[in-house]
Amino acid sequence: MKTKKIFLSEEEIPRQWYNILADIKMNPPLGPDGKPVTPDMLAPVFPMNLIEQEVSTQRWIDIPDEVLKIYRIWRPSPLVRAFSLEKALDTPAHIYFKYEGTSPPGSHKPNTAVPQAYYNKVFGIKRLVTETGAGQWGSALAFACAQLGLGCKVYMVRVSFDQKPYRKVMMQTWGADCVPSPSTETKAGRDILAQHPDSSGSLGIAISEAVEAAVSDASGKTRYSLGSVLNHVMLHQTVIGLEAQKQMKIAGEYPDVVIGCAGGGSNFAGLAFPFVLDKMNGRQIAIYPVEPAACPTLTKAPFVYDHGDTAGYTPLLPMYSLGHTFMPPPVHAGGLRYHGMAPTVSQLVVEGLLEPRSYGQMATFEAGMLLARTEGIIPAPETNHALACVVDEARRAKEEGKAKVILFNWSGHGLIDLGSYEKYLSGSLKDFDYPAQEIEEAGKILAKYPKPQLLKSR
Amino acid sequence: MGAEPETSDAASLSRRCPRLGGPVTLGYCMSCEQQRPCLKITDCWWETFDIVRYLQDHLPADHFKQLMQARPKPKIASLVELIEKARKGAES
Repeated sequence: MKTKKIFLSEEEIPRQWYNILADIKMNPPLGPDGKPVTPDMLAPVFPMNLIEQEVSTQRWIDIPDEVLKIYRIWRPSPLVRAFSLEKALDTPAHIYFKYEGTSPPGSHKPNTAVPQAYYNKVFGIKRLVTETGAGQWGSALAFACAQLGLGCKVYMVRVSFDQKPYRKVMMQTWGADCVPSPSTETKAGRDILAQHPDSSGSLGIAISEAVEAAVSDASGKTRYSLGSVLNHVMLHQTVIGLEAQKQMKIAGEYPDVVIGCAGGGSNFAGLAFPFVLDKMNGRQIAIYPVEPAACPTLTKAPFVYDHGDTAGYTPLLPMYSLGHTFMPPPVHAGGLRYHGMAPTVSQLVVEGLLEPRSYGQMATFEAGMLLARTEGIIPAPETNHALACVVDEARRAKEEGKAKVILFNWSGHGLIDLGSYEKYLSGSLKDFDYPAQEIEEAGKILAKYPKPQLLKSR
Repeated sequence: MGAEPETSDAASLSRRCPRLGGPVTLGYCMSCEQQRPCLKITDCWWETFDIVRYLQDHLPADHFKQLMQARPKPKIASLVELIEKARKGAES
């Protein structure tokens, strides 16, 4: 019988993280005044040891022993050969995934939550505050704070708080205080509630509350923690890719394609950055960050959009359908447009080392269902973006008759995020051909505002 | 083409929010930023129907223009802004 899962021993957990800032040039982050942000400007929300990591250009950074000790609760995570998926797709491709759903909160997020909590503790911080949307990050930080004996406060966007009661319970079980945002505990929250008592909240409001809670603590013992986007977060996540490299070596293979979903960039970067280093050193490898397909006519993000068209998947719409002269020109939708994307990931797109892909909502859920029914694990909904790309690549390998090796990051399980699956299974998430007979009023809307035609420019 | 639909008809449409990680209604997306639409509303809803035309029809012209012309801020810049805002709020 062929080996399905490749494990490493605890002794084989990498002892250093890989810092991509050693190998790429980045524009300095600018503040609102257009001048470069200095470390002291971030000191009210982050401890200086993490700020130093944020700007460090040292290639390899030691993982502290206390972090390694906690990593051992779930790391090394397994590398799994997706034999059942391969069979279902009848593809010659060899498909592997790094499974990050084995962590206590069920996602890759603790890979950075633990070191962030550790560095804060070393700096003398007693309590961390954060915001959370789906609750993955909030529960990861709650877990990390419990391990390190820190207090933890999580502002969870009201709409998610109501939808996902078990996330709240997870956080509380680990000792965190999780409140719906907007809350009455901050000025930012109170201001919103005064105007809109029934506010469902938003990530923007929750972040404002968390930052205010950190900044306004007169004791100076509270800091803010962010689970994605920032350089030190990407750094901590590289433990995923560094483990995967060892495991692929045991498998006797090297990936032709590396794939990860890219929301804020952290799980993608975690798997991909060590392979990006290989690519910089001459390896032939395609690396795809996968994101939701965005509005093709309204690509309006800065810089990356102007230079990042390396995807080969560029849906464009005719501008005349809008008829507003102030609209930006239709550039392309293949870039990484989400404003929460990690600058390092965006920079690698600009440099042509990454090739962004995008998939519509339905394709991602179809892929998620396929993986659940073949490999058995229900994926976190965001993981489904990577899976849609994996399925595409596997089918392409079949068409080309190539036994490509595909490696992707299975960033988490979806067991506490089943609401989206419920919507999908009940037909509420349909993108196309909304049946008016089933949902009459919605059908009227869609008849009046038909979906733009999706065209591929090449 | 049918009669002009009420806003509430569309407001019940649902999809997964990539920022929150769960299902939300179009009604939420139209109002989640202090009663203004989410900056990503077009990026998310274009798959389902012509959200741009819908926004044109249902937003005041100046709100629509602001939404279409909005540029996202880098994360660090937003954080620095929030720190300043929180500091000023604490002082007042």
